[in-house]
Amino acid sequence: MAGDVRVLASGGCHIFSGCGYPAPSLDSFMFRPLFSVGSFHFTKPMLIAVICGLGVIAFFWAAFHKPQLIPRGIQNIGEIGILAVRDQILRPSLGKRGDTYLPFLVSLFFYIWLMNLMELIPVLQFPAMSRIGFVWPLVFIVYFLYLYLGFKHQGFPGYIKNMIPWDVPKPILIILIPIELLRFFVVQPFTLGVRLFANMFAGHLLLLIFILATWYLASASIGLLFAAGSFAMTFFVFGLELLIDLLQAFIFTTLTAVYIASSLESAH
Amino acid sequence: MSSIGKEAVTGVDRRRAAAAQGRAQGLDIGWTVFSYLIAGMIAYGGIGWLIGRAVHVALLFPIGMLIGLAISIGFIIYRYGRQGAVEQPPRKEMTGGR
Repeated sequence: MAGDVRVLASGGCHIFSGCGYPAPSLDSFMFRPLFSVGSFHFTKPMLIAVICGLGVIAFFWAAFHKPQLIPRGIQNIGEIGILAVRDQILRPSLGKRGDTYLPFLVSLFFYIWLMNLMELIPVLQFPAMSRIGFVWPLVFIVYFLYLYLGFKHQGFPGYIKNMIPWDVPKPILIILIPIELLRFFVVQPFTLGVRLFANMFAGHLLLLIFILATWYLASASIGLLFAAGSFAMTFFVFGLELLIDLLQAFIFTTLTAVYIASSLESAH
Repeated sequence: MSSIGKEAVTGVDRRRAAAAQGRAQGLDIGWTVFSYLIAGMIAYGGIGWLIGRAVHVALLFPIGMLIGLAISIGFIIYRYGRQGAVEQPPRKEMTGGR
């Protein structure tokens, strides 16, 4: 349980009781270990990551372990999911030749989406992607994949050469080279990860602000009116987060497809 | 029948495919532009910081960042600011064309 929630749960911390509003902070993202093995501590975000990984595997196993020509039930839902990723994410960037990467992009999309949705599931109520340590491994997988594909399809000199915008005048080209290399090797993967992390971090913080405020303001006073307003805001932010969770998974996967496409063929 | 493997063949499918391609392209350009702005500031801010450290002029760091930002903005306008500079024909395989 996070620190600010413990403060509220421990006693009657309400408005006009002399207790200040326990605003959510970084403490809200720290969890006590569920169990420890030596120096390894297994925490709630890790549990959520494992549940999501197993959830995605279980879902697609259930949908496709015995595929029928006429899909029914869970196979129907699985097919809708795969076709959505193929037609809205993969094909627009990679075309038909990119179908080889469909399993990777489907796994990536559904894993991120499910991880994000965990902030809205009662009891779990935490988006593991708001801890940046869960985002970097995905970014590294994508980063090394598109570097590998770039070197494989264009060759090392060709890949570096194709990064440079040769269509600009030569004197400008010299001042553009450091920007172009830094953008490609550092800023591009950095923004890919930080965008997902920051959106989930901010979303969870927003939800916590209104949930905690609802509890804090609920007292036999005018505070009850404010609590009602905060409660309504909780629902609004909840709806907003439902959209953002999907959108962030979509953006991460779409940009992954775009980066893979740029590795398979020259961008300039 | 299982719909995986079925291609976009109707007019509606083609329009949807073109819209999806436009979305992916827009997302790519948007984040590329943002990356250029950050990369410009870091690259030339870094060069400014290194020179500033050598000659003991701390002001070269923010000046370098501003120069980098200006170069990035100039390049973004050059690359993406022109009419039709980012327009691409829809992929043939997306539209069901053979």
